[in-house]
Amino acid sequence: MKWANVRLFALNFWQNATTPKTFYLLFSIFILLTAYAAVSGIKKYSSQNNIRQEHQNKARQSWEANPDKHPHRMAHFGTFAFRINPSLAIFDYGLESFTGNTVFLEAHRQNSVNFSEATFSTGMLRFGELSLALLLQLVLPLILFFVGFSTVAADRQNGTLKMLLSQGASWKEILFGKSLGLFAISLLFFIPILVIVSLALLIIGDQTINNLTWIRLLLISLGYLAFLAIIAGLTVAVSTSSTTPKNALLRLLGIWLLLVVLLPKSAQAMGNYWFPTPSKLAFQSAIEKEVIQKGDSHNPNDPHYNNLKDSVLTVHKVSKVVDLPFNYSGFVMREGEKITSALYRKHHTKLVNIFKSQNDITRFSSFINPFTAIKQLSMTMAGTDFSSYIDFQNKADDYRYQLAQTMNELQMEYISPKKESGSEGKTHVVNHQHWQEFRDFNHIPMGFGNSLKEAFPALISILLWVIGVLGLLVFTSKKARAI
Amino acid sequence: MIILYKLFLQQCIRTKEVWISLLLITLLGVIGIIIGDKHLERQEDAIAEVKTHQKQHFDRQVSLHNKDLGLLLYYTKFAYVNTVNSLAGISIGQADVNPTIKQITIKTFEAQKYDTDLVNPMNLQSGNLDLSFVIIYLFPLLVIVMTFNIVSEETETGTWNLVVIQARSKLGFIIAKLLIRLMLLYTILLFLFGIAKLILNLPLDTHFFWMLGLSMLYIFFWFTLTFFIISFKKLSGFNASLLLSIWLVLIILLPAGVNAYVSSKYPVSEALSTAIAQRDGYHVKWDTDKLATIEKFYQHYPQFKKYGYPIDGFSWLWYYAMQQMGDDDSRKQQNALNKKIKLREQTSKRIASIIPNMHLQLLFNQLAGTSMSQQMDYLNATNAFHEKLRLFFYPKIFEDKHADTIDWNQFKPEYYDVEVNLQPMQSMIPLIIASIIMLLISIPKMKRL
Repeated sequence: MKWANVRLFALNFWQNATTPKTFYLLFSIFILLTAYAAVSGIKKYSSQNNIRQEHQNKARQSWEANPDKHPHRMAHFGTFAFRINPSLAIFDYGLESFTGNTVFLEAHRQNSVNFSEATFSTGMLRFGELSLALLLQLVLPLILFFVGFSTVAADRQNGTLKMLLSQGASWKEILFGKSLGLFAISLLFFIPILVIVSLALLIIGDQTINNLTWIRLLLISLGYLAFLAIIAGLTVAVSTSSTTPKNALLRLLGIWLLLVVLLPKSAQAMGNYWFPTPSKLAFQSAIEKEVIQKGDSHNPNDPHYNNLKDSVLTVHKVSKVVDLPFNYSGFVMREGEKITSALYRKHHTKLVNIFKSQNDITRFSSFINPFTAIKQLSMTMAGTDFSSYIDFQNKADDYRYQLAQTMNELQMEYISPKKESGSEGKTHVVNHQHWQEFRDFNHIPMGFGNSLKEAFPALISILLWVIGVLGLLVFTSKKARAI
Repeated sequence: MIILYKLFLQQCIRTKEVWISLLLITLLGVIGIIIGDKHLERQEDAIAEVKTHQKQHFDRQVSLHNKDLGLLLYYTKFAYVNTVNSLAGISIGQADVNPTIKQITIKTFEAQKYDTDLVNPMNLQSGNLDLSFVIIYLFPLLVIVMTFNIVSEETETGTWNLVVIQARSKLGFIIAKLLIRLMLLYTILLFLFGIAKLILNLPLDTHFFWMLGLSMLYIFFWFTLTFFIISFKKLSGFNASLLLSIWLVLIILLPAGVNAYVSSKYPVSEALSTAIAQRDGYHVKWDTDKLATIEKFYQHYPQFKKYGYPIDGFSWLWYYAMQQMGDDDSRKQQNALNKKIKLREQTSKRIASIIPNMHLQLLFNQLAGTSMSQQMDYLNATNAFHEKLRLFFYPKIFEDKHADTIDWNQFKPEYYDVEVNLQPMQSMIPLIIASIIMLLISIPKMKRL
């Protein structure tokens, strides 16, 4: 295989592809779509983050505005955690519209994360959202199919192929040259998007330090380059193995439909079928049941808490809780929070694992579907995937736990042991200075390392796909016939 | 004539591709119905679960807090169920993201209104492979596969000239060929609806036939569209790519663009404001003047004035008055939120009415009771249910009644029946108009066939 020949075929492909007017029509449509997707992506990102940041501040203001009061009142006053989008969300929305963005954090209760875009949408949202990533994942492959489907098949039909081969060109040179040409065409579409995203990132700026946004973008870009190379090679291979251009086109469109629409949907449906999600009631009752077994602080006759009381009284050598050196009710709540939080965590992890098993069918289908591979890689690296969402949930719940326990400790320390129960009134209170001392929730998106770990199967599968397509081209070049 | 149609039918199903795609779509349709059935089954299981749970839940709460009704109602949850419409098995719509069972306490309603179920966002994003998906996404593809070359194949194989000489009318010839394919697809559609009826136990009511009729119209629209394209008498390859591009634009790009437009034009910041407002509305009252809180409560419910002003220490009357303020003091934000949701819905509907597939999806959801507006109706009904509970329990709490004086058996889970608000003609008009337009613009071409 001579490089000069490969280059010749690549250049020739480029010229042939860029001559017809329809190509410019396709290109302009794509650029228009890019502009639209970019503008709505940036607008959506900045307005959503502004709204959330603004409300985070508002929630904080009312937290700090609280007067001196009983700490347990503050534990219930609670606060909100708002999910902030990573800056690459302008490029790939990922699950953004389907995950909640607001969660109320208070003592004893793990509230659901609410107000996803999907809850306020009509059924239309399920058709998809126009993001830059969607253009690259769905539309660009189709364009490449349209540009490249006839490349070998038409040469065969009009006899050019015979002449080329008789003049000394090898099949390998033809196939690799044409694939390279098609890949170069794809760059014409890809580079504007990359430029737009980079500019937008420069303007937005990196809000978080440890997030390595640029490395993420680099990996995303490499991923898309590999993906486009896979599509280019696949197109040329299919064109070579089809008898007529029409057949090649129909086959390619069939592949697109199968890999973009049918397979991903069925994979997720299978996951959902094999690993059913428990109902909310079943989930909550399971926790409730275990709490009752372990010790229910709200039950005045609970054996666990009666034993605890006895041992605390013995240790401090007193006979009544009001004689203890700290506020006993704060102590009980601290113990209760510890037990219920641990149980909740346990069950929540189990639930997340069910979700993960459901998603694993999709994740591992990347090995048979390059479209899924790039989709997974793209949203994981953009930080808008499932694991980033779970990371937010966990961070919010950690903060919730800290809030509850800090308030319980304030109660143990500053509230008189004589105040056995109740949190009403202005006598047994803690100075409001403490409210400001407790730091606000600040959502830091998931770190780069975790994203990389999550994207690992997708990365590997893309690499395998590149190798596979190279192999396919070699294989096709051996089997190919000129007539 | 009959012989001719028989011939056309044979010609149509002669090729392997057509057979495979017909089988595939039937198979996918059946899978879609099974997925829908699974969805219904899950909902029904959840409802059955709530029924048994509620009784045990009450027993436990009554035994724990018999003497303290105020505390008991702090914990006790009452179920309000959105009755599952079995047509939801055909069009799951928003029923996967919106809970169909609400378990609420009599505390601030706004704090509970938007609580979500356990959902995997990846499932939501990938969407449901239900029958509505098969009809809306895949049937048009089948129409394209079966019709894109009915004229061009004759010209490409050289039989068109024979047709021109022999057929009484060229137009009649093409229409006959199209009709036979339309009938074939209608047969499959009817078959799938028949299967759906059996598996999902659908009643043969107007909504069922309506759904069927709309699907038939929708498929008819795609036939008129392909009719228009093939009347240009271009090559098969050109027809196929053009039709598939139209499919891509109508089914993927346009809706995706519209979504991007709606969500960036109408962000729902009011939801977040409401959440904070209801929290502050209640919690701040722990530090403000008790008298003022109770006075405000009596302004809302003058009938309770007789319970006086217990402002020394803690009292349940004061407590529930504070909880009430969570709802009352966030009214402004709630109204803004409702207005925004309505606005989003109206915009979506307006745009959808000119895009047949989006229009059909919204109609399907509406008929199946799984649309967003119906979810809002259900939430409003839940609010009314909540109010009923409050009015029942408030006086009992304020009178310090013991829990065992109340007949708890009367509180079975209550059911809400979805209302379907659709005018038959109005909903069909966009599809009919779209089809007529396609036919009208094809007429000038027809003469030159």
